[in-house]
Amino acid sequence: MLQGMFQEGQMIKITNLEKFYRTEEVETIALNKLSMEVGTGEFVAIMGPSGCGKSTLLNILGMLDDPDDGSYVFNDIEVAHFNERKRADLRKHNIGFVFQSFNLIDELTVFENVELPLIYTGVPAAERVKRVEEVLDKMQIMHRRNHYPQQLSGGQQQRVAIARAVVNKPKLILADEPTGNLDSTNGNDVMELLTDLNEQGTTIIMVTHSEHDARYSHRIIRLLDGQAVVENIMV
Amino acid sequence: MLRNYITTAWRNLVNKKFYSAINIIGLTIGLAVGMLILIWVKDELSYDKFNTRVDEIYKVNASIGSGATKQVWGGAPAPVAFFALKEVPGVVNAARVITSYDYGTFRYKDKLLKEDYGKLAYVDDAFFTMFDYKLLKGNAKQPFPNDQSVIITESAAKRYFGDADPIGKTITGDSKDPYTVSGVLVDFPANSSISGDMLFSMNVKKKQYNGKGYWKSMDEDWGNYYTQTFLQVRPDASTKAIGDKLTKIHMAHQQGIKPTDGVFMLQPLADIHLYKPDGSQAGMQIVKVFSIVAVLILLIACINYINLSTARAMLRAKEVSVRKIIGADRKHLFIQFIMETVLCFAIALLLAFSLIYAVMPVYNNIAGKQMHFDLLNANVWQVIALTIIVTLVASSIYPAILLSSFKPISALKGKISGAGNATFRKVLVVCQFAFSIGLIIGTLIINRQLNYIQSKQLGYDREHIFSVEMHGMQDHYEAIRAGLLTQREVLGVTTGDNSVVNSGSTTGDTDWDGKAPDVSFLIHPFNIDKDFISLFKIKFVAGAGFTGSKSDTAHFILNETAVKLAGIKDPIGKRFKLHDLNGIIIGIVKDFHFASLKQAIEPSIFAYRPTSWQMYVKTTGKDAPAAIKAVGKYWQQYNANFPYEYNFLDDVYNNMYKTEQQTGTLFNIFACIAIFISCLGLFGLATYTAQVKIKEIGIRKVLGASVANITTMLSKDFLVLVVIAIVIASPIAWFAMNNWLQEYVYRVDLHWWIMAIAGGVAILIALATISFQAIKAALTNPVKSLRSE
Repeated sequence: MLQGMFQEGQMIKITNLEKFYRTEEVETIALNKLSMEVGTGEFVAIMGPSGCGKSTLLNILGMLDDPDDGSYVFNDIEVAHFNERKRADLRKHNIGFVFQSFNLIDELTVFENVELPLIYTGVPAAERVKRVEEVLDKMQIMHRRNHYPQQLSGGQQQRVAIARAVVNKPKLILADEPTGNLDSTNGNDVMELLTDLNEQGTTIIMVTHSEHDARYSHRIIRLLDGQAVVENIMV
Repeated sequence: MLRNYITTAWRNLVNKKFYSAINIIGLTIGLAVGMLILIWVKDELSYDKFNTRVDEIYKVNASIGSGATKQVWGGAPAPVAFFALKEVPGVVNAARVITSYDYGTFRYKDKLLKEDYGKLAYVDDAFFTMFDYKLLKGNAKQPFPNDQSVIITESAAKRYFGDADPIGKTITGDSKDPYTVSGVLVDFPANSSISGDMLFSMNVKKKQYNGKGYWKSMDEDWGNYYTQTFLQVRPDASTKAIGDKLTKIHMAHQQGIKPTDGVFMLQPLADIHLYKPDGSQAGMQIVKVFSIVAVLILLIACINYINLSTARAMLRAKEVSVRKIIGADRKHLFIQFIMETVLCFAIALLLAFSLIYAVMPVYNNIAGKQMHFDLLNANVWQVIALTIIVTLVASSIYPAILLSSFKPISALKGKISGAGNATFRKVLVVCQFAFSIGLIIGTLIINRQLNYIQSKQLGYDREHIFSVEMHGMQDHYEAIRAGLLTQREVLGVTTGDNSVVNSGSTTGDTDWDGKAPDVSFLIHPFNIDKDFISLFKIKFVAGAGFTGSKSDTAHFILNETAVKLAGIKDPIGKRFKLHDLNGIIIGIVKDFHFASLKQAIEPSIFAYRPTSWQMYVKTTGKDAPAAIKAVGKYWQQYNANFPYEYNFLDDVYNNMYKTEQQTGTLFNIFACIAIFISCLGLFGLATYTAQVKIKEIGIRKVLGASVANITTMLSKDFLVLVVIAIVIASPIAWFAMNNWLQEYVYRVDLHWWIMAIAGGVAILIALATISFQAIKAALTNPVKSLRSE
């Protein structure tokens, strides 16, 4: 069992997690009795070759998908068998997502993209403006607030995406290859931003192919065929 | 929150201009046409309902004869109203309307104006209290102070007196009878079954019975079914009992009447416009057909919207997934989709309103109506609300459920299958095309039947023949005829009292050797001169025509049907009696159509009369103006007091089928619109498919597929759907149109190739629509499309 290094609080504890994908003829095991823990305030990188189950794990951790078997305890709550609505509710108050391809909504401006999670959690309008401006300022893209995603560079788009992920002050950020579509300068900027967020207390779990990016984390979990095979603790 | 939804919806609309345009154009046309048709339907259904007592007023119809020769007439003898009031319990009030043919013109000072036939009527005083026709001036309780009073409509008053007060002014009918205006009536509403320009007191009609004729007085005349008799009955009264009681009274008062001749039945006032006197559907059938067409067109437009928005929902999977991941509930997505639909509808609705206002005059013209589009009308909004709800339910709820059900992460990575969803769309496309093909088949058959009517050999020749009422010319007919025949442009002249195109009168007053005593036999009498049959090229099957000799006054010519139904063997030389005249049959003519093709040919009889009130002149197409002028000269000589009028029989004939022509035109337009909207949707779907399959097309091209291969691949799926639609629509349309044709006794045959043509047209149109997109997609450089990942 992989232990979190920060023992003051445990955020995530998964035990014997299993996930299968079935088509008519083939059954693929994506997660094979995987167990792991992540402590509050940790920065964990998950690595492994294509098809090792990284994304599946991230989806389950992000409560976008449910496991076929096993237990998933998030902040002392067993969520493995939560229905969609309960998961969605827990998710929108606790988890922020950052994707490789940014996934901003093309029809909305920078400001509106970042504002969206606040709208969905029912934050009043005045409060929304304050919080969006605060986070845009922090990400240094305030001057782009009225632009549409297509008008921004990749690095700027990822900043907006991170701003959107953190605007609701989530306890956990799940990042799926956040630098995958960026050049090294912009990639480093994004990693710095994530590190800053982590230092301010946000737990981060990041899937990556990049050894370079993984070095920003406290701990690397390496997956192969749906199982955790190695754990490196960064010093 | 709401602002955000509207902003997103608006930007989606603006960013996807192509799809938005298709959606909005389709919806606009669908809504506009749907509403236009429903306005027409509402108008048809509104006839006579402006009367506050519409539920209590009934018209008395009469059934004559039994079995195959049974007819139901919309008229009743005059005594019916008299006895209904006097002896029948449950009858509260009665009013008769008798169309007057007594005058053709009226003069006020030096203004001489013609009044069309059918625009003058005698009415009982109760007419003004029973119905809701309003008197602007005059006394509804005592409308006619004396027998020389006349009540005229507002527009007639305007014609004669301009803006001056008409009350007390005197107009002169046909230069002989003065009438003083005692009241002004608000013009009859367009949706009134009763209409006219001038109303006269029933007393005038009563006085025409001088006590010396066969029928001593109006209220004893049981033999002429010439009144429209309206009864107001107590709401709890049984109309059946009232009809039976009236029949009993009739049987008791008319000597020797057969118990099947003159059986009375009551028809609700509200039904007069859309049902025949015998209760069968008249206009009601068209009302039903058009209602269905309206719903189909609205459905086709809604299906477009549903198809395009669900198809595009798949393209929008990324956006929806992102929204889900960052916290959107089903509710949020749901409202978002509904907002988009509402916005799209709002725009379409505004455009539809403008479109309706713009085409209303043309539409009124085609439909032959005076309809108004009133935005404040509750009916309009009922239609709108219904359409929006249907479309909303189908086009927002469905994608909302669909989109909230897929896994957002897979959707983000483009790994979603739209299989079930595609089936749903395919079903809708099939429905849409089935509707369109059904309408094409309907249109083809209606047009064929209308052409058939136009070109059918009617058994007589009406080409280049016009009719003129003779008035004063009648006394000089022989001289006029001789004079006209000297003119090169006049090919023939004849006279008769009944129209070959549409004979109105019938009589049962006949006898022959061997006639069964209890059988009623109705026959159409034509009083004609010696040239009539040859001028109209009616053919003889036996015997010969009139020669103009004295003995012809005791000669009759029958048609084949008359001989057959009367059962006279070897009719030439046999005795026949018409009214008081006993004569012999000298000829049999081949059956000809002297009524609408909706009716079977009935018995007819020709009797000889040297002159009648109507003259027919045959000319040629080229010489018609000269011939009209030649007749006009005689008119000036003998009829200076009447405006000169003539009617070409072709026009009279076409007028008989005016409703059919109007229906046909409207049907053509509606079918084209339905097909257009369907194609709009198909075009959108084809574009979508090409967009979705762009990668597949790229790979296929790299592997060596030709443009033709790709085009076929993309078109095939759609064509299969159209073929399925043909298979479904053909039998239904066949059945429906066969039903419609039953209304015509003489009709075209339904051939399988009509279905084939309709299907072929649908396939061609669909193919043209799809191939544009398919070829465009096939021509795309694969390098470009493969890189788009």
